[in-house]
Amino acid sequence: MKHYAVVHGPNLNLLGKREVGIYGGRTMESINADVEAEAKRLGVSVEFYQSNGEGELVTFIQQCRGRADGILLNAGAYTHYSVALRDGIGAAAVPTVEVHISNIYKREAFRHVSMIAPVCLGQICGFGAYSYILGLRALIEERLDPWLA
Amino acid sequence: MTEQTRVKKKSFLVISGPGMNLLGTRKTSIYGKGSLEDIHRGLQARAEELGVEVECRQFNSEGAIIDSLQSAPGRFDGVIINAGALAHYSYALRSAIGSMLLPCVEVFISNVHAREEFRHTSVIAPVCVGVIAGFGKKSYLLALDALANLGGA
Repeated sequence: MKHYAVVHGPNLNLLGKREVGIYGGRTMESINADVEAEAKRLGVSVEFYQSNGEGELVTFIQQCRGRADGILLNAGAYTHYSVALRDGIGAAAVPTVEVHISNIYKREAFRHVSMIAPVCLGQICGFGAYSYILGLRALIEERLDPWLA
Repeated sequence: MTEQTRVKKKSFLVISGPGMNLLGTRKTSIYGKGSLEDIHRGLQARAEELGVEVECRQFNSEGAIIDSLQSAPGRFDGVIINAGALAHYSYALRSAIGSMLLPCVEVFISNVHAREEFRHTSVIAPVCVGVIAGFGKKSYLLALDALANLGGA
């Protein structure tokens, strides 16, 4: 069974409790439950990790090498400036999909740049909690897509 | 009014911009081997699974895309757009999307952020619900999932 890691970065532990106008009322736990249900439907296993620490995230992503078939990553604010995270993704060499709950392009200019996007398979943003579901589908079905030959 | 007329299927317009008519024949290392017709077939199949309708169009002309967007309200419930190179500089397209007041999802086949710097900026992204980039032709299918789910989870 394919195995995927779902990684939440800084402040995402407070989802549903802060800035609900931007991030919605869903908690991280309820989003994880949705992802878990979708994983079950697709016949894969998932694990979840959240850290506010950049270093902890880098270490976790490094350790995904050889252990996970893909990473679904919402790096939060680190997206926009963490070269360390970018290098961590590159070093892990595990297919990674970048997700965001909000449409980062509707927000402040500093959020329009993603340091990690160039080392990810692709980016999904703006669909609320559903961004994670789309991201999981993107990761899983990526290998099954006959068009990508 | 019968139940059937009230629950009219949602209908989405899919627009592919300049050059997309040549998919499968040019730069296949970036865009893959499948054709635009393959994408359209995939979208029709996914639409059937989701219980929605899609209409797929392709234009090389910026003006034709704007005409199409202007006529979308009232006929469609949302739009998927792969504006191709226009995404990076067409303010006219941005205005057209912004003024149609329908949810619009921006898609790219390639990971634009891994390519030339001029492709890192999309002038239409801020007026779209969200962006899906980098998953090959599957980006379109994910966008359809996203539109069909709007107002859901």
